[in-house]
Amino acid sequence: MQNSFCSIILAAACAAAFGLAAPAAAQTAARIPRTTAGKPNLTGLWQAFGTADWDIEDHSAQAGPFYQLGAVGAIPPGQSIVEGGDIPYLPAALEQKKKNYANRWKEDPVVKCYMPGVPRATYMPFPLQIIQSQKDILIAYEYATTNRLINMGKPEEAAVDTWMGTSNGHWEGDTLVVDVTGFNGKPWLDRAGDYTSDSLHVVERYTMLDANTINYEATVEDSTLYSRPWKISLPLYRRREKNARLLEFKCVEFTEELLYGDLVKKTPENK
Amino acid sequence: MRTKLLIAAAGIGLLLSAAPVWAHHAFAAEFDVNRPLVLKGTVTKMEWINPHAWIHLAVKNADGTTTEWMIEAGAPNGLLRRGFNKHSLPPGTEIVVEGWQAKDQSNRANGSNITYPDGRKLFIGSPGTGAPEPKDAR
Amino acid sequence: MTKQIFLLMGTLALVTLASVPAAAQSTSSEEGKVDKNWSAPKTPWGDPDLQGTWTSDDTWGVPFERPKQYGTRRFLTEDEIKDRAKRVEQSQEFIDKGGPAHSPAVAELEAKEKGETPPPAQGRYGRGVDAAPVPGHWGEFARRASPLTSQVMDPPDGQIPPMTPEAAKLLAEKQQMRRKQDSYVDWSLYDRCITRGIAGSIIPVIYGNGLEIVQAPGYVSIRYEMVHDVRIIPLDRREHAGSGYRSYMGDAIGHWEGNTLVVDTTNFLGKTAIGVNGDFGPPTSEALHTTERFTRTGTNTIDYKMTVDDPFVYTAPWSYEFPITQEPGYKLFEYACHEGNMAMHNMLSTARMEEAKKAAAGKQ
Repeated sequence: MQNSFCSIILAAACAAAFGLAAPAAAQTAARIPRTTAGKPNLTGLWQAFGTADWDIEDHSAQAGPFYQLGAVGAIPPGQSIVEGGDIPYLPAALEQKKKNYANRWKEDPVVKCYMPGVPRATYMPFPLQIIQSQKDILIAYEYATTNRLINMGKPEEAAVDTWMGTSNGHWEGDTLVVDVTGFNGKPWLDRAGDYTSDSLHVVERYTMLDANTINYEATVEDSTLYSRPWKISLPLYRRREKNARLLEFKCVEFTEELLYGDLVKKTPENK
Repeated sequence: MRTKLLIAAAGIGLLLSAAPVWAHHAFAAEFDVNRPLVLKGTVTKMEWINPHAWIHLAVKNADGTTTEWMIEAGAPNGLLRRGFNKHSLPPGTEIVVEGWQAKDQSNRANGSNITYPDGRKLFIGSPGTGAPEPKDAR
Repeated sequence: MTKQIFLLMGTLALVTLASVPAAAQSTSSEEGKVDKNWSAPKTPWGDPDLQGTWTSDDTWGVPFERPKQYGTRRFLTEDEIKDRAKRVEQSQEFIDKGGPAHSPAVAELEAKEKGETPPPAQGRYGRGVDAAPVPGHWGEFARRASPLTSQVMDPPDGQIPPMTPEAAKLLAEKQQMRRKQDSYVDWSLYDRCITRGIAGSIIPVIYGNGLEIVQAPGYVSIRYEMVHDVRIIPLDRREHAGSGYRSYMGDAIGHWEGNTLVVDTTNFLGKTAIGVNGDFGPPTSEALHTTERFTRTGTNTIDYKMTVDDPFVYTAPWSYEFPITQEPGYKLFEYACHEGNMAMHNMLSTARMEEAKKAAAGKQ
């Protein structure tokens, strides 16, 4: 009776439920997909959950900027993804963060559909697609068609400062380590005014916990803003819906009225 | 005033004197054909951005005051591919800009021709083919 | 279901080459020759390997539609290629020399100083200005003379087939409605830094013609420098997304036919054109269905072919093709466009300022 029941559902879980010794196969470490070269294969469609993009530190539920949207426009609560809880701001930088927060609906670059930088791109509320070849690794983010190539060959210096930085990657065991420099200091880390400077240096670590979960960590370093390097970590989950695919969120059009509306010719229709 | 689409144009004239930059927006929408100018000044910053790089230029006026001009230049990616980088036009470099002033008569102009004071053009070829070494290159 | 078709407010009139010497009767045989000593590389998981950074620079200067004098000839003669090679060499020299010593701005100033009439502006780029708005030698040019008479190869006369009467009528109506510089929507999708579409992102222009192909088991991805577009092409023959989801770059599905990657794309918004500006040029509709073929023909070349099938707009499918090449040291750089699009702000504010001036003058 038990055997036939256990044959229907996962053998290991079933065995555990009935206090039986788990079959040997189910006791092996979670299998992760690997490339022909034996490296973890990160190719796939991934997404972070939670509310880090709203605020990477602890935050309570609160009203949004437009009461007309009621609950739909309100801000959900969330727990910090910063190890230790708070970002170790230098005093002047903390003052700037507070100014940013007070003006965040105007000043957040993402409101204008600007590129989110790294690590914010990872925890935007949109999926990302990793394409891992035998050479380099492409990450395509659904938000604003942002994309970056991780150079897995000889590290290259940043020729110019950019929104998404210059990424050089290598493997440390089963962890993909990506060193990102050459930022232009314009992205924010979230919608709550946590900002960056062009001295930003980020080191990402992607480690598969199992076939459908990546543990994502990013060490953030900038001696002009922070008293020490600090780290965020959160899981990325594989999007497993049938036919899940990266869709297109080209948001420039949604920001043009905001950015240029006052420069549009006034006609009887739009006065 | 409509941007015309130059999909194909390989006549000799296009390749030579009328420098074949594809104007992805109308020159005359921004700049004034009746206000040609030549500016001599010192670079305070070059923004290596798209769709246009911008050179910030401190220009000494006749009365000794300084005016900060913004010069709209070309897209930088072709230059980056030839080896130039963010250190290739360091602050403090003297340059001469020929172009036309913005229609709103602000301190903005396009840089149709940008040279060093001795007449050599900026960003010819690739680094090391005649341009002076950037002062604080790594 | 109401099918809402978006047509573009562009023009089908494409600039063609200035007159070329009458072609000789013989045809050139410079078709993509595959080096006999070369065999198509494979990825470690066995797919044809198209990876690398590729550029369409070498097709810069090849007219999109075929100039009539070539008829059904796809390739230039040896003499015609030599002519083109001279121009290619001149353009490469241009990078090293930068063109004329002074811009016409200086000629204008000198003339003014002398009290003379400035030389007449010739109006190609600037509606009255015969100089480029920015230094031309910053651009990128062909490295070799392309043997092609045109990019459009099918129909055999290299001309885009006629539009359907319904599409032509809609296009004419839209062109009437189009205003000048009233709003950001009056500028191209490229000027607005939205996209240049799957066609525009690869058809060569004066810079930014690069793309990068990165493959993984089950996928080919293509990212384009200008305007930082990226396409993820699954190879598992899944269905296209439902027709209620549409996008500028469409929904792509790929499969291999021998060493050729065939990419089938649908689900377009119908807002892009087959043109470099995103939406100025041969229009398309929601009915657009494209088929692209990427075939590696050598270490540094891929043959690219695009078939445009839009039964609402065109009376027949049509195709264009050209090679893309790898070049030493050629890599992509970030092209964050919208983030630095001061031109849009400046152009619109200038238009409003001029209107205000006119209005004030009118009141006097």
